[in-house]
Amino acid sequence: MRSSPAAKRLSLSQWFKTITFYEILVGMKATLSHLLNYRPVTLQYPHEKRTLPDNYRGMLALLRYDDGTEKCVGCDLCEAACPSRVIRVVSAEVPGEPTKRYSKEYYMDMTRCLFCGMCVDACPVDALGMTREFEWAVYDKRQLHLNKQQLLAIGDRSYPVREKRLELQHPNVAFFNVAFNHVPPKPN
Amino acid sequence: MVTEFGLRLAISLTQIGAVMCIVVITVLILTLAERKVLGWMQDRMGPMEVGPYGILQPFADAIKLFFKEDIVPAGANKFIFTMAPILCLIPTFIGFAVIPWGPNWTFEINGISVKPFVISDINIGILYILAFASLAAYGIILGGWASNSKYSLLGGLRSAAQVISYELNVGLAIVGVLILAGSLSLVKITDAQAGWFWNWYIFALPAPQIFAFVVYVISVVAETNRVPFDLPEAESELVAGFFTEYSGLRFAFFFLAEYANMVLVSCVASALFLGGWHGPYPGTLMELVGLSSWSWIESTMWFAVKTYSLLFLFFWLRATLPRLRYDQLMRFGWKVMLPIALANIVVTAIAVYIYQQIN
Repeated sequence: MRSSPAAKRLSLSQWFKTITFYEILVGMKATLSHLLNYRPVTLQYPHEKRTLPDNYRGMLALLRYDDGTEKCVGCDLCEAACPSRVIRVVSAEVPGEPTKRYSKEYYMDMTRCLFCGMCVDACPVDALGMTREFEWAVYDKRQLHLNKQQLLAIGDRSYPVREKRLELQHPNVAFFNVAFNHVPPKPN
Repeated sequence: MVTEFGLRLAISLTQIGAVMCIVVITVLILTLAERKVLGWMQDRMGPMEVGPYGILQPFADAIKLFFKEDIVPAGANKFIFTMAPILCLIPTFIGFAVIPWGPNWTFEINGISVKPFVISDINIGILYILAFASLAAYGIILGGWASNSKYSLLGGLRSAAQVISYELNVGLAIVGVLILAGSLSLVKITDAQAGWFWNWYIFALPAPQIFAFVVYVISVVAETNRVPFDLPEAESELVAGFFTEYSGLRFAFFFLAEYANMVLVSCVASALFLGGWHGPYPGTLMELVGLSSWSWIESTMWFAVKTYSLLFLFFWLRATLPRLRYDQLMRFGWKVMLPIALANIVVTAIAVYIYQQIN
């Protein structure tokens, strides 16, 4: 309005608003009202924490049955499902039981994990779980390369209630310890 | 003879030490207050960790800056790089020498007259402050140039142009008050505003200096490189402007200089326009209850209230306004502020002349 010659003349009220910095005063009133009605939205994080949602996807863990045996059968499906190649499984035969397998070694490189939960979905025996832990900041990145014992320990402290182990099939033919619905219950 | 000189020196040094202490403490308070006030205005809390409600944050900042590594960039001019923060800091602190903090009393100690609330009542006080405020611009420009960094140089250049343009307006805005008071001494100017609050030069007849006050406040915000005129240190454009390459204690000096400069211009504004240490009523309440020897407390409190209100205005503007573009800054300074200041001088001069002819 200042530069173009064809601009309309300012009306009296506009002129008055300009010389009294009306817009700036409106803005200053807004900031002052926030100062007087002081309601901070800040959460003082280390001292107070917000409640997590029920479906929170936190740190991954390996689970056990109620008798303390590992659920994992070493099928490598989690490794296949992982989009970030976090998981590495070394599968092996259970000694003495040629049809049964377990994970001899199990590694998770949590520096790459994006917490999508696809490994948990892929697991046929529900051996993986997501906990509600999220404060995993460390000084050394190598501390985030977790092995099987560490993952089992996370599972132990996050899932105190364990699933009951069912022996539904003959041990020699049981590939997965899964309660298939179409399989008739075991006669006693 | 020697003892007289020694006594004079001791009194002056005591006064200087006291004023320095007050200024540094005010700066400490300001660093915390700015972060707190900004936080509250933006629905945040501000610093909360160090001490209860974060009140020890300035000390934590000071300790951190003190122990930081002192880095001189490669290719920097070491001498000028070292001198720049000191050049910035000293003129600012020197300016406080002529600010009257309290009543214009005079004591006699062994035949030496002492004014307790002003270090030196020189008769060109305002000129002295303006002269040293301009010197501080050298610190900024040289600091930006000596860093051997394009961001620093750009910040320094912007600052040079900005400080020169807006110091002109500061000087012209003050002239109206000088015409009314007929003196350049801050003590005399403050004394002339005694009585009710309509004797303050912002309201005083025959020529209220309200426009000059607005021009002065806007111009000193620009001169101290504060938001919305913080182009020299625009952090989203120039990293940090002229002190990009500074760290540790030298950065602390620049920081101290900026805040001390804010305190100085607020003190000058309250002394020139808002009646200085005079309350908004004649005399003091302490005199009414018969404690006239303690009335200086009330007077200094009035001075502090006025100064801190102006400092709060600085924070308030910072919380409200976005940064100006460079051409907007220059156009506002030269095409809006300067004509208003000049017109104010003309109107004030004519009004004072007519007033004197009538009386």
